[in-house]
Amino acid sequence: MNYNKQRLPERQETAAPVRGSFDIPFFALTLLLLTIGVIMVLSASFPRAYYQGKSPMYYFLRQGLFAAAGVCFMIVFSKINMAVYRRFSFWVLAVSVLLLMVVPIIGTSGGGAKRWISLGFTTFQPSEIAKIGVVLFFANMICNYKNEMKTFKHGVLPFAVITVAIVGLLMLEPHLSASIIICAIAIVMLFVGGVKLSYFVSGIAASGVLVFIAVKFIPYVQARITAWQDPFADKSGDGYQVVQSLLSIGSGGFLGLGLGQSRQKYLYLPEEHNDYIFSIVCEELGFVGAAAILILFALLICRGYWIAMHSPDRYSFLVCVGIMTLLSIQVFLNIAVVTNLIPCTGISLPFFSYGGTALLMQLAEMGIVLSVSRDIPTRKTT
Amino acid sequence: MAKGTSGRQNARRPNSMMLRRTLFLLVVCGIVAFLVLVAKLYQVMVVQHDYYENMAISQQVRETEIAASRGTIYDTNGKILAKSASVDTIFISPAEITKYDEDPVLIARSLSEILGVDYGKILEMTSDTKSWYKVVARKVESDVSDQVRAFKEENNIVGVKIEADTKRYYPYGSLAAHIIGFVGTDNSGLSGIENRYDDALSGSKGRVVRATDRNGTDMLFVDYEDYYDASNGENVTLTLDATIQYYMEKHLQQAVEDYDVQNGAAAIAMDPNTGAILGMASLGNFDLNDYQAVSEEAQAEIDAAESDEEAAELLSAAQQLQWRNKALSDTYEPGSTFKIITLAMALEEGLVDDNSTFYCGGSTNVLGRTDPLKCWKTGGHGSQTLTQAIQHSCNVALVQIGQKVGAQTFYKYAEAFGFLNLTENMDATLTAKTGIDLAGESGSIWWSQNTFYDTENLSQLASASFGQTFTITPLQLITAVSACVNGGNLMKPYVVKNVTDSSGKIVSANEPTVVRQVVSEQTSAKVREILEKVVGDPVDGTGKNAYVAGYRIGGKTGTSEKVAQDVAGGPKEYIVSFIGVAPADDPQIVILVLLDTPSNDCGVYISGGQMAAPTVGKMMADILPYMGVEPEYTDTEKTYMDKTVPNVTGLTVEQAKAALQEVGLNARVIGDGDKITQQLPGGSTVVASGSTILIYAGAEPSAEQEQMPDLTNLTYETARDRLAAYGLYLRTNSSITSTSQIISGQSIAEGTLVEHGTVVEVTLVTNDTSMIGRY
Repeated sequence: MNYNKQRLPERQETAAPVRGSFDIPFFALTLLLLTIGVIMVLSASFPRAYYQGKSPMYYFLRQGLFAAAGVCFMIVFSKINMAVYRRFSFWVLAVSVLLLMVVPIIGTSGGGAKRWISLGFTTFQPSEIAKIGVVLFFANMICNYKNEMKTFKHGVLPFAVITVAIVGLLMLEPHLSASIIICAIAIVMLFVGGVKLSYFVSGIAASGVLVFIAVKFIPYVQARITAWQDPFADKSGDGYQVVQSLLSIGSGGFLGLGLGQSRQKYLYLPEEHNDYIFSIVCEELGFVGAAAILILFALLICRGYWIAMHSPDRYSFLVCVGIMTLLSIQVFLNIAVVTNLIPCTGISLPFFSYGGTALLMQLAEMGIVLSVSRDIPTRKTT
Repeated sequence: MAKGTSGRQNARRPNSMMLRRTLFLLVVCGIVAFLVLVAKLYQVMVVQHDYYENMAISQQVRETEIAASRGTIYDTNGKILAKSASVDTIFISPAEITKYDEDPVLIARSLSEILGVDYGKILEMTSDTKSWYKVVARKVESDVSDQVRAFKEENNIVGVKIEADTKRYYPYGSLAAHIIGFVGTDNSGLSGIENRYDDALSGSKGRVVRATDRNGTDMLFVDYEDYYDASNGENVTLTLDATIQYYMEKHLQQAVEDYDVQNGAAAIAMDPNTGAILGMASLGNFDLNDYQAVSEEAQAEIDAAESDEEAAELLSAAQQLQWRNKALSDTYEPGSTFKIITLAMALEEGLVDDNSTFYCGGSTNVLGRTDPLKCWKTGGHGSQTLTQAIQHSCNVALVQIGQKVGAQTFYKYAEAFGFLNLTENMDATLTAKTGIDLAGESGSIWWSQNTFYDTENLSQLASASFGQTFTITPLQLITAVSACVNGGNLMKPYVVKNVTDSSGKIVSANEPTVVRQVVSEQTSAKVREILEKVVGDPVDGTGKNAYVAGYRIGGKTGTSEKVAQDVAGGPKEYIVSFIGVAPADDPQIVILVLLDTPSNDCGVYISGGQMAAPTVGKMMADILPYMGVEPEYTDTEKTYMDKTVPNVTGLTVEQAKAALQEVGLNARVIGDGDKITQQLPGGSTVVASGSTILIYAGAEPSAEQEQMPDLTNLTYETARDRLAAYGLYLRTNSSITSTSQIISGQSIAEGTLVEHGTVVEVTLVTNDTSMIGRY
């Protein structure tokens, strides 16, 4: 509670009377990726929609609607002053923790886990809110602790307690990928926030131990490791998704089969419009198209870090770094999974994977980064 | 740095450590991570592209086979011997039954009812829910598969499927079974022509290649389909004549029954001028439409087997035996039929002629033998001309002829006739094959040259001169004898006339192939002349039982003891044979009949002359008229010949009597009417000359049945009169050459109940004491 009291004077000081326009390259890259993503949802999902007896445009139209709403969100969020985010950061995290606590009770199941809360017209994952909640609130805490960040008592312990609590809740679902991302985000926030490297190294070591325990003692994790090492050993069982994904990606070749020409989407590849949409992208657009999309992501992320590094205050900086790292981790993990670089874990590809609320969240996050970009004074000179 | 700056503005901004660390993050998360991903994509998409693409295509593409229709097998006149018809394979897809939640019990029960397949078996198949293909029944006729189709539609079942297939039909059943052969369930030829010409007959399967989704239905919007046409199989026309084949099998079967032949029988008919096989029979045979089924006796033995393994072994052995083409696959010691060959080589070498004489005292000493070599006639044949020596089938004379020829020359001719191939290795046993276009041909076995040429021991040459101590196939013998009578040319035997495509165009044709000229036309003419005297001479001819009235038939008998049996110490067993040539002046057909192990208890003296000769005679009697060879009867023959009963119904009694008298038949009038109301036997029936025809003038024939009496060993006239007492009749299916002939076989077995007026066919043989002997 005392964080709020300390934060108030700062807010008055940071309230710049004139805010500039947001960063055009960042905005343009976001829109470009979003557009490609929605088109790919159309291409990837129409066989599924057809086989389910729905209109072939079903998934595309819903995704398009959320994309349009998401762009509005992004613009609205870009207008909101960073101080407002800081003021509400605690509540964002608090609400997400509350939701994570009720998920095991009122959540809807899918694939052996309870991760979703139904809103009637759509569902969403509270873990998505927790991710941005951690970013917003950790940034706030780091700003408040300032130089005390180098101490274990302030710089590590409170963060560790919150992270462990959230991860604990996530493991109840269970939700391994969200846990990994939350841990990674927490570590990155502390790393950028100025924690001593020695703590940081021991933190990484602790995570390593946790991962080791997970691999050793959680059966479904073990199964995934086995499937990762040799997916073809059980290609109609545990290895099925990865094998089908590799067949999609591999058959894309250098130039791809052409937009809309994927064959693997005809019921061979599961989750082809969702977690595995990038496999369809590879099959249809080839290495050239896939690499181009990766370059767009890389440019967006680099631009995001650039915005962070030019942000006028530490809170904006930390939030920006957190959001861009979150995006980078999600993109990396998703594509690493579909190419079998790492064991399978359910992570969607930002801007591409079908899923309305996730898309809204991602675009809102981009809106926050854009909000930061409005405060960059140097922009006015260019 | 952050420590040093205490100003608010600086404190609010990220310090340089934070910026450094952010720059590090930028490099890691914004550049390195993506380089890693691009590298991995490059590996999968470019380097391993072909590997994954092939795997992807193989799962995305479904191939549907289009069956090629198997070609037809025709006989030389275009009669269909084997053809294919469409049938269906019924299979279930347990995976789909599960997927669409269909009722396995309903499916199993219905399919079991329609197809007659065990209910439990089908139900068990449905439990293998990972399988997409479990065959319930193959070769299902279309009317039955229509019922399955109806069941599918009625209950909206997806998991039961029907697939097109073809089935082979053999309209003549067992006829020429060993030549035609059969196909397995996969329609590939397993034996005979079906096997040898499988590539031509089967054609090539077509394929439709489609891109399909995981459920196997066509992919939407993806235009990926390839079509490869099926090309239908080619048709094979044989030189075989189904009619000739039928006559051969009929009489061979009769011989097997009459003489209780224990170990199978074979017959070959060849056109001597071309080498074309006109017929080839091997008994016991089997029905091509059910080639797995064995004879009733064999089945009874299998049923009596103590264990399943024993039953399986017995079944397999019985099948292998019945599928074996004896005419081609079994070798035997030909015995006296080989004397034709010895004769031909001696004539060709100019060593013997009409002026040669041969003395037979019953036996002769041979250098290298401890005991004298005996002639089949213990008392000896005395002094004989060349013709007589062959007519008598005199072993002693043949030994003398063989020694004139000499071992080297003998082998030179044996090679020229296709019996063996001389090798560099003088110690190797010798062998050869004819190279006929049928599978399963065995090779002959001859003594090595060193053994045969041994000047200190002439016993091999001596025995070989009358056809013993080597083994050959029946096909080799008939091919060589054909060369002896056709003007001297050894022809390559063949059974396929041509192969045509589905439009009738000839793809390939077998032309008669002269392997080599072995003897001159003069030699050949002399051989024909002598062979005709073996059959045609009612006094000296040992082959006279092959005589057919009206035809000029030449031939030679053969009786060989089975050596293997002799060594084993069991009762003596013989292979009796006869090779016949007709017409003797211009041979059109050569027939070889071989009966393996006639029973000692059959009532007929075991010899080629008594058993095989009449069999060939009966074949000739049917086949020569069919081939259009005009008979020329002597007056005696005309008198003895069986008569055709005229139709006398409706005539007055006197007129009828006169009409019957005119053709040499007697009449017995029953009833007291004026006109003939009925006659037994009816008009156009052929009966023995001098038979008494029953003519009814108003009376009705008795409905009583009579028991067929045993006619064996009766003369033709005695039998005729005995039968007349029962109101029964007889005719011969060979030929009456003298009244001393006796009956050796009858078409209706003793004791069979028959109607009045029934005609029984009998086999006549000359059986005077001069004919008793193994020759």
